[in-house]
Formats: sequence, C-alpha cells, structure tokens
Amino acid sequence: MLETRNLDKRFGAVHVTRDVSIKLERGERRVILGPNGAGKTTLFNQLVGELTPDKGSVHLAGVDVTDLPVAKRTRQGLSRSYQKNTLFDGLTVAENLGLAAAIHTSNATRIWSDSLARPEVQEIVQDVANQVQVLPYLQARVSEISYGVRRQLEVGVALATRPKVLLMDEPTSGVGPEMAKGFHRLLNDLPRDLTVLIIEHDMDLAFDVADTITVLNYGEVVFDGQPEAARGSKLLKEIYLGSWEDA
Amino acid sequence: MFRHTALRYAALGLLASAAVFQAFTADYFGLEILTEILILAMLVLALDMVAGFGGMVSLGHGALMGVGAYGYALLSTMGGLAPPVAMVGAVLVSGAAAWVIGAICARSHGIYFIMATLAFGQMAYSYVFEAPIFGGDDGLGGIVRPDLGAVGMDLNDSRTFVLFCLAALALVYAAAVVILQSGLGRSMTGVMHNEQRMRALGLTVWRVKADVFGLSGMIAGLSGVLAAQHILYISPGLLSWTVSGEALVVVILGGLGTLVGPLVGAAAFVVLKHEISALTTYWHLVVGVILIAVVMSRANGIFGWIEARSAQWGARRSADPLHISQTEEARSDA
Repeated sequence: MLETRNLDKRFGAVHVTRDVSIKLERGERRVILGPNGAGKTTLFNQLVGELTPDKGSVHLAGVDVTDLPVAKRTRQGLSRSYQKNTLFDGLTVAENLGLAAAIHTSNATRIWSDSLARPEVQEIVQDVANQVQVLPYLQARVSEISYGVRRQLEVGVALATRPKVLLMDEPTSGVGPEMAKGFHRLLNDLPRDLTVLIIEHDMDLAFDVADTITVLNYGEVVFDGQPEAARGSKLLKEIYLGSWEDA
Repeated sequence: MFRHTALRYAALGLLASAAVFQAFTADYFGLEILTEILILAMLVLALDMVAGFGGMVSLGHGALMGVGAYGYALLSTMGGLAPPVAMVGAVLVSGAAAWVIGAICARSHGIYFIMATLAFGQMAYSYVFEAPIFGGDDGLGGIVRPDLGAVGMDLNDSRTFVLFCLAALALVYAAAVVILQSGLGRSMTGVMHNEQRMRALGLTVWRVKADVFGLSGMIAGLSGVLAAQHILYISPGLLSWTVSGEALVVVILGGLGTLVGPLVGAAAFVVLKHEISALTTYWHLVVGVILIAVVMSRANGIFGWIEARSAQWGARRSADPLHISQTEEARSDA
C-alpha cells in the first residue's frame, strides 16, 4: 500500500535519510522507532510531500507519488496527524472534523451550499467523532477542550479525510499514562483495512499496536521486523531499547 | 466561521431602517451622503470578506473598484452596450482581474501579500493614468445611469438612485453571507486559521484564495460601477492606493471579520468626514486619532466593542443570582 524505494535526504552535511526502503502491506500497522534525531519526522515529511527527497521514490497503492504536492497525495489517500497539534483553534470540534470531511467529499469549494450541513459531511463527522471519542465535545471550541482530547481530535481530523494510509507522528506526545491507554484502544479499534504508520516513543504502545517495527538510527533503517524480534534484538538494545528496559 | 447572532441581526435591522428612513426623508445633501455611505459600505464588505475571513489584507481593492468604474464607463460609452449589460460586464471584468491577482498573490502571506496587492493596485493606477483610452488625468465623463423606466423608476432622481444602491447593497450582503457560509467560505476560514493543515487535508489552497478574491473583486467592481453612476464622472484617483487604505481603515474602525461592523464603519467614517470637515480642514487628523483609539482599545472596532460588551453583559446577567432566581420562577410559572 505504501512503499519507499531508496529514499535519501541531506540537509547540508547532515545525512538525515539514508537509502530508506520500507514497504507496508494493506492494513499493516507499523511503528517507527528511533532515538531523537534519527530522522523519523523527516521521513514522514518526505512521505506526505512536505519535503522532497534528494533521491528515491514514494509509492502509494502502486503509484509513484514522489512528485505530487501534499494536497494531491492526501486526495489519493495519504493522510497524517502531527506531533504538535495543528488544529483550528477558534473553531468547534465539529467544524474541525467537518472541514476535513468537506474536502474528502468534494464539498469544500462549493459556493451555494454549506459544506458542514451536507449529510455526507455530517455522517463522517459523527462517525469519526465516535471513533476518536470526541462526541461529547462536538460543539466545544478547540480552545475549550483538554490537551488529551485535542490529541484525539488531531488524529480525528486526519481520519476525516477517509485515508487509505494514516501516518501519525507521536500521537500520544504529552498525554498522561491513562490517556495513553485510551489511545491504545483507539488505535486498535481503527478499521483493519486502514494501513497505519506511527512514529512513537511510547514502547508499550509500539508493542501493543504494531504488526511490524522499523527502527531508524542516523537516518538509516537498522531493524525491520516483528515486535518480538525487536524485543530480542541486541542492536536495538544498544541504540534505543536499553534505556527502556533499564527503566 | 461567520455566524449571524441576534446582535448582528439587530444591528442590520437598525442600519437598514435608518438608511430607508434617511432615503425617504433626507434633502439632496443628505441623499448624497447616504449614497456615499452605501457605495463605501459595498467596497468595505468586499474587503472584509477577504481580510476578515481569509487573512488576505488587500491594498488593491481601490484598484478593483476602479476597474469596475472604468469598465462600466468604457463599455457603456465607447462600447455602446446598454447600461445593465455594461454593469454585468464591468463586474465580470473586475472579478476576473481580482481572480488573477488572488491566484498570483495566494502564495504570499502577511506583509508580502499586502505589498503584492499594493503593487498590482499601483500598476493599474499608473496604466489608467497614462493610457489615452482612459482619459488620462482628465478622467472620463458622459457616464449614464441605467434606464429603469420600464419598471417606473427614474434613476436620475437622487432618492430613487439611493434606493437602487441600498437594494444593491442588500443583495451583495446576502451574497456575501451565502459565500462565507458555503463550502468555499468555510474552507477559506480554515486556511486563515491553519493553511498548512488545510493543504495537508487535501485542499488546493491557492485556488480557494483566488476564488474568494475573485468574488470579492466582483463586489468591489460593483461598488465602482455605482460610484461611476453616482458622480457620472470618473478619474484615476479612484484606483489610488489611498482609496484602498481608506477602505482598510473603515473595516478596522467598524470591526474586521464581522461583516456587519464594516457597514457601521462606513456610516461612521462618512458622517465623521462630513461633520468634522465642516469644522476643520484637518479632519484626517481627527479620524486618525479615533482610529488609534479604536486600535489601542484592543476592541475589534466599533462593532467588535459592542459585541464584547454585550457578551460581558450577558455573562454578568446569567451569573446574577437574582436574575437566576427570577428566571427559575418564570420557568416554574410557565
């Protein structure tokens, strides 16, 4: 469903992505691990088109999308949530979801009808709000809801575009342990045909949710395999998991 | 997102009633002032659409108004088109010009967007000033108003022309509300709040900006057509950046992003201008002081201040124990 072939990116002398080739099957849940500065977010940004790779290509459902701009990739089914909330703060939760749903249902540029009142948009808003557990807050402004609910909404806005592939950049960033457990349930309850790629530091979440784990170190894939194999990998313990197991 | 509140409806009703009353009772001078207010109100409505709901602060709207005015003058005099057809043609030309400007400037933000629109405005001003077809510095005369004799209206009568402008403004306001509450308008508001996210959600951002700028340009163009029909003469000064600057002052004075506020601002600005200029030639200084006071008060213009006070009053009223107990008594009585 999503594939990178020999993706490579430099920022001056810093080699941030080194010949990265990964392949996600339809419905696969993959977590990308790696220490700070490993190039995880840079890889994400190349996948969605916010950064152009120096070399290599990105393929979505077999189609080369390397040269497509961000908006076109999203319309082809690639959606993302951000590490820092990028919500529409002055708007309500329903309006946040509705804006995304309106784009997906081609209502976002209509002149004579209210996109948010369209039945197909309302249906997505209700469905996604239920999925990410923000139904009670639909009429609240984003500025009025808690940080944890905002993180759920961040994922919800990405889901409201009805993606084939969902990329999540540290969805549990900044939330407490209880809220993080809620996120585990939320992620495990996502439709099984949705392909999910997650950057995450929360090891419990990684091993709870992932079908596959990819580990990046200095922009390079150093491990790609099953979670159980990741647990037993000596290399991983050295570069990343040591601190987790010691803790 | 644009929402009509009870206060906004009340303000609209009050403004419309005052305008209709004035239209039927005012003398010639009063009618001229009212016409000036209505035309300015239309221009600032167009500007508020893009600046208040899209974050696109334009210093090119004076030029778009001028395109409408010159378009109408040329199409109806040299082009030989019937005035109603020339009106439609001029509005479409303004809209097309605005769409192109919007599409080109869509990738810039903030001060760069302002400067880019200013540059387009000044280019248009210079061209009209120099090109012989536009009459140069002398401008163009011989402009006629549409003949609505078939429906028993004589637009050469000042009172009838005021009502014509009022009807046009009402239609434009309704259209602006429809646009702002449409998918396009809501997407534009989303872009103003977070352009990067809207793009990441799959929106072609530049196209949305260009489309709304084009629609806003059509409204600005219509205000230019009415300005040409009002004075029956036009000059390049109509395209000057000072017209755009004045429109921006009026929007800020009335209340950016409220749609009703700029109408209040237009009325306040024109009345102040005439009243103060009767007392002193330095009326700009007085208006400047008022604008500084409005900006420094941190209120969103005159109407924004009224809305904020109204909200505070409502919050105090609902927190007042006496009011709550009275409300509960009323409920139990019911």
